[in-house]
Amino acid sequence: MANGDGMNRRRFLKVLGAAGGGAAALSGCSGDATDKLIPYLVPPDNQIPGIATWYASTCRECPAGCGVHARVREGRVVKVEGNPESPVNRGRLCARGLASLQGLYNPDRIRGPMAKGASGEFEPISWDDAIARITERLQGATGDLIRFVTGNEAGTFDRLVTEWLRALGAADPVVYEPFGYEALRHASRQVFGVDQLPRYDFGAARYVISFGADFLETWLSPVEHARGFAEGHGYRDGSMGRYVHVEPRMSMTGMSADEWIAPRPGSEALLALGMAHVIVTERLVPRQPDTFRVEQLLDAHAPADVAERTGIAAATIERLAREFVAEPSVAAAGGVGAQHEQAHVTAAAVNVLNYVAGNIGRTVLYGADLNPAGPSSYAELGSLVRAMRNGGVGVLFVHGVNPAHAAPAGTDFAGAMERVGFSVSFSRFWDETAMHADLVLPDHDPLEQWNDFEPRAGAYALQQPVMQPVFDTRQSGDVLLAVARQAGGTIAARFTAETYKDYLQQGWQRLQRQLGDFRPFDAFWTEALQRGGVWRDAPARAVRLARTVTDLQEPATRSAPLDALTLIAYPSSALYDGRGANRPWLQELPDPVTKMTWSTWVEIHPETAAARGIREGDILEVTTSAGTVEAPAYLYPGLRRDVIAMPLGQGHTAFGRYAEGRGANVYALLSTDVTDFGGFSHYAASTLRHTGRHEYLAKTEGKSRQMGRGIAQAVTLAALQHGEHGEEHGGHAAPVPEHVEQLLDEVQEAQDADTRYGDYAGDLPRWALAVDLSKCTGCSACVTACHSENNIPTVGPDLVRRGREMAWIRIERYFEGGEDGEPLEARVLPMMCQQCGHAPCEPVCPVFAAYSTPDGLNGQVYNRCVGTRYCSNNCPYKVRYFNWFDHQNPADPAFSFPDPLHWLLNPDVTVRSKGVMEKCTFCVQRIRGKQHEAKLAGRELEDGEILTACQQTCPSDAIVFGDLNDPSSRVHQLSRDERGYSVLGDLNTRPGVTYLRKVRNLTVDEA
Amino acid sequence: MATIAEPQRTAPQQPTYHEITRDVVATLGRPSRTYFVLLAVVLVVLALGAFALLWQIRWGLGVAGYTPPVLWGVYITTFVFWVGIAHSGTLISAILYLFRSAWRTSVYRTAEVMTVFAVLTAGLFPLIHVGRIWYAYWLFPYPNQRQLWVNFKSPLLWDVFAVSTYLTVSTLFLIVGLVPDVAAVREKATGWRRKLYEVTSLGWRGTDQQWRHYIRAYLYLAALATPLVLSVHSVVSWDFAMSIVPGWHATIFAPYFVAGAIYSGVAMVVTLLVPLRKVFKVERYITVDHFENLSKLLLLTGLIVGYAYAVEYFIAWYSGNPFEQASFYNRAFGEYWWATWTMIICNGFLPLLLFFRKVRRSIPALFVLSLFVNLGMWFERFVIIVVSLSFEYEPYAMGHYTPTWVEWSILAGSFAWFFLWFLLFAKNFPMVSITEVKEIIPMPRKARPGT
Amino acid sequence: MNKTHPGGILAAYQHVDAAAAAIKALKAKGYRDVTVYTPVPNVEIAQAVGHKVSPVRLWTLLGGLLGCASGFALTLWMSYDWPLVVGGKPVGSVIPYVVIAFELTILFGAGATILGLLFHSWRTRQAGAYDGRFTDDQIGIFVACPVERRPAVEELLRHSGAVEVRVET
Repeated sequence: MANGDGMNRRRFLKVLGAAGGGAAALSGCSGDATDKLIPYLVPPDNQIPGIATWYASTCRECPAGCGVHARVREGRVVKVEGNPESPVNRGRLCARGLASLQGLYNPDRIRGPMAKGASGEFEPISWDDAIARITERLQGATGDLIRFVTGNEAGTFDRLVTEWLRALGAADPVVYEPFGYEALRHASRQVFGVDQLPRYDFGAARYVISFGADFLETWLSPVEHARGFAEGHGYRDGSMGRYVHVEPRMSMTGMSADEWIAPRPGSEALLALGMAHVIVTERLVPRQPDTFRVEQLLDAHAPADVAERTGIAAATIERLAREFVAEPSVAAAGGVGAQHEQAHVTAAAVNVLNYVAGNIGRTVLYGADLNPAGPSSYAELGSLVRAMRNGGVGVLFVHGVNPAHAAPAGTDFAGAMERVGFSVSFSRFWDETAMHADLVLPDHDPLEQWNDFEPRAGAYALQQPVMQPVFDTRQSGDVLLAVARQAGGTIAARFTAETYKDYLQQGWQRLQRQLGDFRPFDAFWTEALQRGGVWRDAPARAVRLARTVTDLQEPATRSAPLDALTLIAYPSSALYDGRGANRPWLQELPDPVTKMTWSTWVEIHPETAAARGIREGDILEVTTSAGTVEAPAYLYPGLRRDVIAMPLGQGHTAFGRYAEGRGANVYALLSTDVTDFGGFSHYAASTLRHTGRHEYLAKTEGKSRQMGRGIAQAVTLAALQHGEHGEEHGGHAAPVPEHVEQLLDEVQEAQDADTRYGDYAGDLPRWALAVDLSKCTGCSACVTACHSENNIPTVGPDLVRRGREMAWIRIERYFEGGEDGEPLEARVLPMMCQQCGHAPCEPVCPVFAAYSTPDGLNGQVYNRCVGTRYCSNNCPYKVRYFNWFDHQNPADPAFSFPDPLHWLLNPDVTVRSKGVMEKCTFCVQRIRGKQHEAKLAGRELEDGEILTACQQTCPSDAIVFGDLNDPSSRVHQLSRDERGYSVLGDLNTRPGVTYLRKVRNLTVDEA
Repeated sequence: MATIAEPQRTAPQQPTYHEITRDVVATLGRPSRTYFVLLAVVLVVLALGAFALLWQIRWGLGVAGYTPPVLWGVYITTFVFWVGIAHSGTLISAILYLFRSAWRTSVYRTAEVMTVFAVLTAGLFPLIHVGRIWYAYWLFPYPNQRQLWVNFKSPLLWDVFAVSTYLTVSTLFLIVGLVPDVAAVREKATGWRRKLYEVTSLGWRGTDQQWRHYIRAYLYLAALATPLVLSVHSVVSWDFAMSIVPGWHATIFAPYFVAGAIYSGVAMVVTLLVPLRKVFKVERYITVDHFENLSKLLLLTGLIVGYAYAVEYFIAWYSGNPFEQASFYNRAFGEYWWATWTMIICNGFLPLLLFFRKVRRSIPALFVLSLFVNLGMWFERFVIIVVSLSFEYEPYAMGHYTPTWVEWSILAGSFAWFFLWFLLFAKNFPMVSITEVKEIIPMPRKARPGT
Repeated sequence: MNKTHPGGILAAYQHVDAAAAAIKALKAKGYRDVTVYTPVPNVEIAQAVGHKVSPVRLWTLLGGLLGCASGFALTLWMSYDWPLVVGGKPVGSVIPYVVIAFELTILFGAGATILGLLFHSWRTRQAGAYDGRFTDDQIGIFVACPVERRPAVEELLRHSGAVEVRVET
């Protein structure tokens, strides 16, 4: 990895110095590299070696726009955490957000401007040369020949691009997002006559019904939703919300549902209308003013009428309708449920349902519009591609999006690029689009750049450079301005700003005036920077049913060959549309549903598979009208029998070592036909062929059933209310007789007396965790947080197949039921070291590498470990991880941190060499850090002051850390909760982790 | 006084002392070509094993097939296998010595030599299997600058003490028994060999004083070795019994393992003696009667082992512990059923053939049988270790382990290592005890009794 | 062998009873410095020579006791020298340490026995003339005696049935 543009010592020191200097002012780093070689000659303020500095910025991994705090040590970002002040994520972050660090330090980033030479090979050029080339090209082209494609940039950059294009007399940019919510906007227009995405307040709803919306994974604003959902649905003193998931496939979001309803693919609209029908005809709620507009429509959709076409019993539909209006509720259509031919109808029908139930303005909020600028539709991209093919585009700019991969393969954006006179990519990585560009001008990483983003109306999030740029990249905004300047004349005249930062500040000066803030701008600016942005509540906006609602036509029933299975191509919760595929953390993050890593797979129902003689791991050939791909079969009971599902995001032909050539590109199966709402369909009729080949799946899961061992326990709400809080299914070992219990306790006391010795005497904390399974959604953000905090290596698919993944915390997913008629239930349980009081792992270690720390942790002394691995054999929870190879040694093929990826290593945590055992110690470095802070400040630690990495990031606040010996601590109370239990408690390991049983809110006829 | 001669059933006319010396010394003659061929083969295999080990040290244990949760595999299996082999030697030389059973005299040397070299081989595996072999010495309680001692609560440390004690004591025992023989050979030897024997016989002449102390010392060594041999494999079994792994955590383990050890050891003695007596032409001393006695021992221990298997399953069922039950069900019918049934058939059923006198007295039959028992006993350890680990408490964390070429090479290498020492020893020191074979034959007396 | 032996008579016997008789006769005549060589330990000879039981067994006992004591001492001292708690067990847990103590008992016991054997064999070493046959099939008797008494001894040995009698100077 030590090639020329690598990170040599000299350059590193430069960066160090610069970041140090830049950090002196909160304004972060200046763009140009400093020429100081020796850092800290004059020690900069608030930059003490060994002490982290935190900078507020904004996560740009998806359009949600969560606020982040970047933890900077000696001029390097070593971790990003949620910004507590951001109203979007309130300090929490998802796996993709946490992995943004691996975008910044990605070894496959483009390290400087490149131009495609005559040979077709890319050669490095200088920035001035690059800018000159663009200007020259632009002068050669008339406005109508210039086109610009951007990702979802709701903010200043979007404005700059538009203004810049207009200056050139060109058309506005095409803003492309593979999951563009066209259907939702279409439905809002049709039903309420507003072109907006509403905000869904899951916190206020006690009853949630989702029509395919994966609102806990990728849809709109997952972290925000997760928090709200945990509040609204999580069990709290005797009551909880209820959640019904309606989708042919049980997604990760669906796994949190109390009831999963699998309608015929594409028939969700009918169900919604059926429910609305019941609500209106039976007058379950006070009639809404405009209900008359939809009466005619609803009359045609009595439950009896739709039952057959949806495959859902009329009785069920009526029950759902009654439940829906019984408490404050919300219905949401989205995800791939809003990405098929009939999605706009579904979305519209759901709007109607929300309307008649009176949820509009209560839990469905218009006004606080989610990313207001909003992407344009796939249709527009399609027409651009046509223009490109016909030579109608002279100069093409692509920024922040990868249409050559993240669009139905038939679109062939790459092919069309060949027909464009001159194409420029601002991509940070060698993605499929960049590979076909003539000029590649790598943008700064979001963590290196000045920018802002408007996640929703009224919320203005700022980005600032938190460190010196890692490579010779340049902010695209500056490039555009430089081009304008060079072009001179009227174009130059339109831009008074020297740099993009100035341009940004001009915008924020206007914003300050708008907001009626009359302080000096610097004060406003500095405060905004420190807080990560400016947050205002946009006024809610009342909406009424529009006339257009009447021409809501009902979905055509899908016509597909008889033996055909409906393919559902869903966004991978880690890789999203594929943009996460070059992040090893996300590649190795087990999919929350299937526990698969590093690959693409075909989910198929066990019975369907059995009928076709398909076993797990058989490589299948999936064919649709659009194309054919191969992938191994994964038997998943959470599907309709007439449906198969595949995750998007893999099958890259470029995009760096971690993404290239992994899995299959599922976009190749999606048709380019533009749907009525201007998007493309993520559903397709498909046929399967068994190739006869087989492979072992790279999954981290052993068995998916818990064999009645009560690992992940649950209890029904009804039972709880009747005071039974024992576990739901037959327990494991027989109860221990009274006298034996007594005997054990006596032996215990005698032993404890002998262990109060040396450092172990005196009252010390007993660190412990409490995990509320009624809140945990299985989103796996904690797993990535743990990777980031504890320098855990990623091992790659081959070692995952050998069960050698290293994540110290894992989300175990177990299935209950799903056989002979009983409903399928999925349970998730975060499993980390239980820090046992009687740790079986410790006494078997011959060299005391594993031992009890006086404050109740199961310590692991890495440099004392000889590697007998007895501790792991003797750990009933299997939460110890062995270094099979030298993942931290640059000379080793198993090296996990190729330059400059090793920059993200946390300096507070050692890297482990081959042959030693490693494990979770409740982030002991964070514990000690806070203890030292408190000591220096001469005060006592407060409860909740120490946060483990997993707890810190958990979007649904399911994990609580604290001192068990402190009766006032939260964890102490939770450990005595009626739902509390220890996994495998019968082994008398006395774990420090208390799990609170999942609560299932079943309806009468289920329970 | 040591062994009182009991009439040998066979041997129509007993060999004279002189013949015994002559015949045994003859075995130390110039080695044949086949001997060198064997030696070459052994060295090649040993080299392969050594290469595999170096490969593993260079890249890390990952090159072996370990698949969590199975963190012990072929290495620990083979370790227990060799320690087991090592047991019959001391049994025959010490326990049977105390029991005054005369038939041991002509076979005990081979058994004892086998013991020492088997422990020598077994001792390698704890090193081979640890993640950082270069720090393996940390398992010894040596004073280091941080005054950090070892954890005597760990069964692995008990192992360190048990195995090293066993190696030391059995080696001493072998040498002590060897001294008078070497002295006897010394007188016939010439050249460098004579020098070797003069040194190694420690000036032995068989004087009345020497014999006086010798007999005592030998007796007490035997008395010490007897409890030792029982303890060593008990300790090894506690490596497993002390854990909480279903399928390991059982009180029957100590006797179960000891019986198994002797069982496998006797089988190995048979495997070694059959070719040895042919090559060395000592059929006169190692007779079918000896094999019958050995096979009776085989039958006895085999029955104990078979009983232990049955008890394991019974307790699993009777305990009502679902983890235990699941674990044993998985053994018999899970992914590793083939290993389990190999073990049950080889160790539980085949030895029942020994109830037939014909089989007991047919050397080819015994030889084949002994091979099966060796195989079965290796698989017994494989099943106990690997299969139990692959199916523990956490369903999510269960896994399937398959060894790689590295493990197979090192396993083969360990056999080469063992046979290397065995071959070298067999050609330089008497494999049949001259002295003790003489002892069971009364010394010639004058024709007329009395005076 | 070493030629530094005192002068005397060396006799070789074929038959054990003859040898035993000869030894008794010699003793009766008051010859103390007699060395008997046998290829194997033999009851009759031993009785004729009439040694007391070897003191080696005392070494075994003391070694064993020392081993046991040091086993417990080592484990307990090391546990408390740097106390670390593992699995909630007492810092010094005697029960598991029994294993160590046991193994050391055996180790030290065996070691001491060997030392005892070497020590006593050395202390009671008998430097007499020797012949290779004595480790093969013959019994040897060596009587160290001054020149003037040799004829008498030679006479006695010849008549007791020695197959060969030799004067060693």
